[in-house]
Amino acid sequence: MSKSVLGLYNDPNQAADAMDALKNAGFAQGTFDVLTGTPYPEGAFGEHVPQHRLFRFPAFGAIIGFTLALFLTAATQIAYPLVTGGKPILSLFAMLVILYEMSMLSAVISTVVGIVIESRLPNVNQGVYDNRITEGLIGVVITTDDDKADTAIDALNGAGAMEIKQA
Amino acid sequence: MASEAVHSGAHSGVHAEAHEEAHHELPARVEPDVTTSELIATTEANATGVRNWMWILGALTLVGIVVAFVKVLIEWSDQDEWGYTAAMVAFLFSAFGGAPLVAIAGTLAKGNWVRPIARFAALCSLVSIICTIWMIPLILNLPMLVVDGARRRSIWFEGPDVSPHIWALVAMITLIISALGLIYAYAIPDFAAMRDHSTGWKQRFGAWLARGWIGTTVQWRTMRMRIGMMGTLYFFTFVFVHFIISTDFAMSLVPGWRDAIFPMYHAISSIQAGLAVTVIGLWAARKYLGLEKYLHLDQFWSIGRLMFAFTLLWGYFFISAFIVFWYGRSGSDQMWIDYLILGPYFWVFILAMLFIWFTPWWWLIWNRVRRSYNGTAIGAGLILLGVFLDRVRLYVAAWTVPEDRIHERFLTEYPSTVYPDVMDIFIMVGALAGSILLILAATRVLPILSIWDVQQFNLLYRPVEYMKTKVSLIGKPD
Repeated sequence: MSKSVLGLYNDPNQAADAMDALKNAGFAQGTFDVLTGTPYPEGAFGEHVPQHRLFRFPAFGAIIGFTLALFLTAATQIAYPLVTGGKPILSLFAMLVILYEMSMLSAVISTVVGIVIESRLPNVNQGVYDNRITEGLIGVVITTDDDKADTAIDALNGAGAMEIKQA
Repeated sequence: MASEAVHSGAHSGVHAEAHEEAHHELPARVEPDVTTSELIATTEANATGVRNWMWILGALTLVGIVVAFVKVLIEWSDQDEWGYTAAMVAFLFSAFGGAPLVAIAGTLAKGNWVRPIARFAALCSLVSIICTIWMIPLILNLPMLVVDGARRRSIWFEGPDVSPHIWALVAMITLIISALGLIYAYAIPDFAAMRDHSTGWKQRFGAWLARGWIGTTVQWRTMRMRIGMMGTLYFFTFVFVHFIISTDFAMSLVPGWRDAIFPMYHAISSIQAGLAVTVIGLWAARKYLGLEKYLHLDQFWSIGRLMFAFTLLWGYFFISAFIVFWYGRSGSDQMWIDYLILGPYFWVFILAMLFIWFTPWWWLIWNRVRRSYNGTAIGAGLILLGVFLDRVRLYVAAWTVPEDRIHERFLTEYPSTVYPDVMDIFIMVGALAGSILLILAATRVLPILSIWDVQQFNLLYRPVEYMKTKVSLIGKPD
């Protein structure tokens, strides 16, 4: 059975100390995290900064949109072979506008989808949380087995937690 | 985290000190809990006054919509009757659509001054929804690609008959999705703040849209990325929509009008108008929502300088097009000058040039003006008036060209001046009122300034003593 423990801090330095204390107590990176109401500079708490794949979504989306547009415009030009201005039937410059537009549309849609996926939203298993985090308090949260919860609480208290919450 | 001193708070000399004290005090830091509660309270601030304004704007919007329906019934097939509607749509898209670029450019460049204004600038993109709705009668009135058995000149060289109609709509839908994505990307942490500290339906609404946001490292990291990506995609869609609107709804309707710079001119004047809308919105928010603590001279000063730069750029783009036609002297070149400048809208052009370029140039050139809230707002008002008149000059002229002359090599006989009738005025006022209403309604749901952005501003900013002066010390995370 796992337990979620949250330590609340007024001072960011204490929160950084709590992160160090959890690391020193043997908890693995990725099992604990810092919760803030505003983005601190990355690594300010010594937290584990995971990689993301968000950039793949617009890239894949754009490729799909471009391919569809290429098919659409080429098929249209072949199906209705109108010679315009003495240019070839399959003229890339006539396709460019639609290629661009479809690529953008597809990239935008896939980025919105990517945002939801990569942000881990909706977060149905929110765990322990405190509303005061959006008012400036800093939370250090850890999810661990029941038998290690006391060690985690000691580490969080040792760094000067003003309050401990469990769920 | 690198830090840097970005601006001085005082100069040497008694006079300079007095001047700086009056005009350039460094902003005080605000505690995060105060920021959260005060900015959430802005969604209720001046409730009676805002509600009254919303009723007035709603009534004007409704009247505009009803009049538009009447116009559809009695003047449906008269293309020249829709010129002022086209001008208004182009103006609204230009002014409100350009505003988010202030937030995007500032955020991508990691500018600290832009933080408190990014939310309002992004909210302006909501007006793309209004523009799309008002574009429907325009799209339906746009001539087919094949007129009287021959293809008219357009950018759709080998496309089907309804290409401009379909792709203009697709472009606007892409812009709407980008706009909503951008607004949402900025707003998720604030929805969480509303979930945590609002009451009633706003609390429930915030909880639903926050989707379980708790501010983890992953969530903040991906948020930075998605703002950058949605901003970039919005920018690329924005310039494309300018290309489509300026070519399909203006240039291709006038035989002989071939101007490679025109879409860029359109986009540049849109960014100029977007800056102006941002200034006016912030000025109003500061004055009527009591946000003096959060909106500082730095924001107005910075946007004022950008407005000045874009005002000068308007001159550059205009003269770049003009000089080609002036010295080209071909029939179509002469037509461009005779019809769009010296022709039936000569006085509109003169007024547009005065307000979009000459007057703001000689108004915003002064440091004292740019360093004042009211001075910057007056400059912004002038620019908006100028951009509106410029759109009238271009779009009304384009929409009054009879369809049966669309195949001419260039226009030889110019349609006379078309003045707005009562229905045009109601439609224009209704469309503008609807746009303002939408943004005002959005600020009743979301704080007009982003809570997390303002908190980060305070997190990374310190007013410090530096020798005999005061400076802002700003941390810039890389």
